Amino acid sequence: MSTTNVGDSLGVVLTINGKRHMLEVEPRRSLSDVIREDVGLTGTHLGCEHGVCGACTVLVDGQPARSCLMLAVQADETEITTIEGLADGDELHPIQQAMHESHGFQCGFCTPGFLMSTVALLSENPQPNRSEIRAELSGNLCRCTGYQSIVDGVETAVSLLNEAQGNQP
Amino acid sequence: MTLGNSQIKPDAHGKVTGAALYAGDLTAERLGTQGMLHAKVVFTNQVHARVTLLDVSAAEAVEGVLFVLTADDVPVNEYGLTKFDQPVLIGPTSSGRSIVPHDVSRWEADHLAVVVAESAEAATLGAQQIVSDWEQLDIVADIDAALAPGAPLVHPEDEVASNAYAHLVIRKGDVDAAFAAADVIVEGTYELPYQEHAFLQTEAGVAYTDGEGRVTVETAGQWTHEDQEQIAHALGVNADEVRVIYRAIGGAFGGKEDMSVQIVLALAAKRLAELDDHRPVRMEWSREESIVGHHKRHRGRITTRWAATADGHILGVESNNYLDAGAYNYTSNKVLGNLHLTVSGPYEIENARVDSWAVYTNAVPGGAFRGFGGPQGTFAAEMQMNKLAAATGIDPVEIRRRNLLREGSIGITSTEMPAGVSLPQVVDACAEAAEWTHPKPPPVPIASFASLPSTTDRVRRGRGFACTYKNVGFSFGFPERSEARLVLHGDNDQPTSAEVFLAGADVGQGAHTAFVQMAAEATGLAFEDITATFSDTATSGDSGSASASRLSFMTGNAILGAAEEAEKAWREGARPAVGEFRYVPPPTEPLDPEGAPTTPNFAYGYVAEAVDLSVDLDTGHVVVHDVVCAIDVGRIINRALVVGQVEGAVIQAHGYALSENLQVEEGRVLNPRLSGYLIPGIGDIPEQVRTILLEIPDPVGPFGVRGMAEMPLMPYAPAVAAALFDATGVWFDEFPFTPGRLAAGLG
Ligand code: FES
Ligand code: FES
Repeated sequence: MSTTNVGDSLGVVLTINGKRHMLEVEPRRSLSDVIREDVGLTGTHLGCEHGVCGACTVLVDGQPARSCLMLAVQADETEITTIEGLADGDELHPIQQAMHESHGFQCGFCTPGFLMSTVALLSENPQPNRSEIRAELSGNLCRCTGYQSIVDGVETAVSLLNEAQGNQP
Repeated sequence: MTLGNSQIKPDAHGKVTGAALYAGDLTAERLGTQGMLHAKVVFTNQVHARVTLLDVSAAEAVEGVLFVLTADDVPVNEYGLTKFDQPVLIGPTSSGRSIVPHDVSRWEADHLAVVVAESAEAATLGAQQIVSDWEQLDIVADIDAALAPGAPLVHPEDEVASNAYAHLVIRKGDVDAAFAAADVIVEGTYELPYQEHAFLQTEAGVAYTDGEGRVTVETAGQWTHEDQEQIAHALGVNADEVRVIYRAIGGAFGGKEDMSVQIVLALAAKRLAELDDHRPVRMEWSREESIVGHHKRHRGRITTRWAATADGHILGVESNNYLDAGAYNYTSNKVLGNLHLTVSGPYEIENARVDSWAVYTNAVPGGAFRGFGGPQGTFAAEMQMNKLAAATGIDPVEIRRRNLLREGSIGITSTEMPAGVSLPQVVDACAEAAEWTHPKPPPVPIASFASLPSTTDRVRRGRGFACTYKNVGFSFGFPERSEARLVLHGDNDQPTSAEVFLAGADVGQGAHTAFVQMAAEATGLAFEDITATFSDTATSGDSGSASASRLSFMTGNAILGAAEEAEKAWREGARPAVGEFRYVPPPTEPLDPEGAPTTPNFAYGYVAEAVDLSVDLDTGHVVVHDVVCAIDVGRIINRALVVGQVEGAVIQAHGYALSENLQVEEGRVLNPRLSGYLIPGIGDIPEQVRTILLEIPDPVGPFGVRGMAEMPLMPYAPAVAAALFDATGVWFDEFPFTPGRLAAGLG
């Protein structure tokens, strides 16, 4: 894949979507490149490669991170969740289900990043109002939808999650 | 009934799970091949210069580099969507099968070479080892420089004495008499900015030779068959020796209508086949390469005067319009046509003298972008209309009603408008939803920066209105067509399922979903009973482009025709029953060079918008409270998708109007990153966007459908300008309305 001399590389252990990967990576390589190229999980998208668009958002130990800005070696020994790890087998995560139903995307290129940011948002604040949703998702860019359908999708996700937990808001 | 609901897109599952494959996601494993090669295209990085030396030997010596392609390797070294005026690769020597001079770089992102290597790193290292020498030529920086006496010519081979070309005219009535009779004259010189598409997925593709020996490019574009044609032309082969497939497309908006990676990847694949190397080769542009390396919405300048009576009737329009075409034509001559028709507004105008030019410069090419010249023309027209309202003291909606095109009106090109002019209803619907006749709401506190307290002290509130129209399809005499193939399956009396084969691109707008809905409606089958194969030149005929608000319209008609053919075959006993149909819309005419009457279009879409905003007089910070977009879509195929097009277009327009500020100086893009080129984020957008859909059927649309995806972008910037005037009493004739520009103008 690359011109890496193994001597230049460092060993890292990344647990991605519950699976341990022992990898040899050059220190300069971004987490996003390693996820996409070495692990082959291409649901993590790259829209800008310098921290502006949020398309590359993954969870690192539960916290949202821009994988284009993080070096793979910085993620050594962490638990990483990517978009491919959200669904439980064939069962979509409620947030995926909500975005699916709400037409919360057009081209879908921004969608993995929005979904991962939403997971992080709802784990911190399970009942966000519309302005909190807007504030929390302000680090993700979408060029297609105009965002209203994405906010609708998050609201749908909140009610799906409430239903799942049996508590009506 | 499958029409009118919000059918979930069949691609939705892949998009929410990360399984959807975009061109950049194609790995050797997914393509079923052993290994993958990497290509890098090298930009000349020369704004205007003649190459005197090109040496790639050091690059080819880099470990991991297989070969470097140069101009010598391009069989026919030219391409272009409407004019073959751009070399595929710039070099001191070339095959000689093109009259376009191949040794001059006219744009910083002209392509110099393609490095093919075992890894992306090796390709980049190879690119750094390319040696070239350049003789600098005078730079034609912008429209003023291009029109200056004695300016160097960007395309001397065209044998046109000026950089201005594609001159279009309208000559109608007696303009001088109209101005002599006027009670009121309003005028303006409008400076129109670039806009960058900023589709979230940058250009990417993979190329290889398929099992049938075809050079195959899997990529993201807007028109498979046009890509195929242009690749075949440059390769000097027949179109059927080339195959183009689109994978999931991460946005386009006009920005993927022209070639980016396609031809250079095809050249690489062809060379690999000659070397008996069967690995596919991939290329993916960085965001910076994308912003520097593809065309933009044109910057331009419109100088215009309108004459009117004291009661607000327009007597005459005079307008001189320039678009900066940049270094190559792309679709500038066509974009210009739409500016030309919209610059006098969607109004009945009896006297008009309109002149429009595209102008070659050494800047980034202008080309297709949602609205295709319409946003520029509409900005000038609606600024003029709002100034006229202010000058006459007539309400902006009322003054429009007195002038609007309506059924049976004679259009600006002196022929009757195509049937189905619904603009009066659209304007009324917008005004009503916006509660236009109610007093405007008081200012609310806004905070210009998160660190500042919210205040109303220096905040003013205003409302603005604008409307426009846009043609459906390329038209202007272009031979439009769309092909469909539909196969009915079943053993007994009734078909139980169908297959459709369509080339039309789903760039995210949901075209494929709408196609299947229309196929279901046309055959009486359920959505789930239709299997569709899309966007592969090997399996379907030409659908034309996903652009010009044309695809649902054209392909819908093609599906209806194919369904009818298939049903006929079915009745005659064929099992399966195959229907093939090529839809050709009503003919159109190019504009007359002297301005004589013509019918350039067969259908239009109509839209109106009202904007309510607050602006801080000191900081120039703007908060848009409410946007109403009323649009006649003819017939809703899929409500959620239609609303999505409106909301998405309004937010792109919001960026165009307020924040997107691409800086191009001396032929160089100065801010080619998303950190410096600011597209709206969720924190920047209007507090609400309300979509009002009208369904007044288009007489020639499938099921009554009208084109609609571009129109909502067009009236937004002038509606914002009008709201700013309403709030502050200041007209801003130049945008984007950045805080700096507004604060300077209001200070
Ligand atoms: S790709 Fe990481 S933020 Fe844009
Ligand atoms: S859906 Fe295309 S970028 Fe968000």
